[in-house]
Amino acid sequence: MGCGTLLSIVTIERTLVGNKVVLRVAGRMDAESTPAFEAQCDSCIAEGFTNLVLDLGGLTYVSSMGLGAIVRVAKHLRDSGGEVRICCLTGLVRQLFEITRLNLVFPPHDSLESALAEG
Amino acid sequence: MSNGLPTSQSLTLPAKTESLGEVTRFVREGGHEANLPETRLNELDLLVEEVFMNIARHAYPQGAPGVASVTYFVATPGELVVEFSDHGIEFNPLVADPPDLALDLDERQPGGLGIFLLEEFADSLSYRREEGWNHLTLRVSAKP
Repeated sequence: MGCGTLLSIVTIERTLVGNKVVLRVAGRMDAESTPAFEAQCDSCIAEGFTNLVLDLGGLTYVSSMGLGAIVRVAKHLRDSGGEVRICCLTGLVRQLFEITRLNLVFPPHDSLESALAEG
Repeated sequence: MSNGLPTSQSLTLPAKTESLGEVTRFVREGGHEANLPETRLNELDLLVEEVFMNIARHAYPQGAPGVASVTYFVATPGELVVEFSDHGIEFNPLVADPPDLALDLDERQPGGLGIFLLEEFADSLSYRREEGWNHLTLRVSAKP
């Protein structure tokens, strides 16, 4: 699914691998497009999935709004005994995870295979 | 005819989320005029969003929408100055408490990172309150 104006387009591709949902998030996650990401996550949670893997390899931009959404979703899943895993960070997105120390909250995996392997 | 001063560009629009794309595109033009590299333009987008969304979400009371103005000029080659102005509640973001980045997931709050990111990515920031207006000025230059 895609959402947003020309500059703020995010695409989210959903795949089920075992008991984990992989969301491949690409494009730009800003204030306008973050609600589409949250809606996709909320939909997974509503369907009973508790383990999300966010493949952010195609994400070129994220603002504090997008980072906050990831934290909110992860807190929700933690309360349900699940978790969020992150993989394939690049560029500004990787830099932001490091600056905000969210890389300590969500130790990033270098590959999707690695994110799916543990646990 | 030029008077030797930098030429500024201004835009005023409703302080709401739906204006973000227009504001971003507008300031990006300034980034191109200042010859900022692509990676810095992406960071400029981030700065613009954090400031503008702060105005859109917090400057005006709910149900009383207001406007935001943004002005930019190229101060020197490779340096862009951007000023955001709003007529809302007096708020100096530069004196806000910094977020505690050592917190784990249980204690982390989803918000509170925006102002921190401004301080990380802008070369400099200044705030002034003038005749009922908040003015936040950012300088953004190409990094070596």
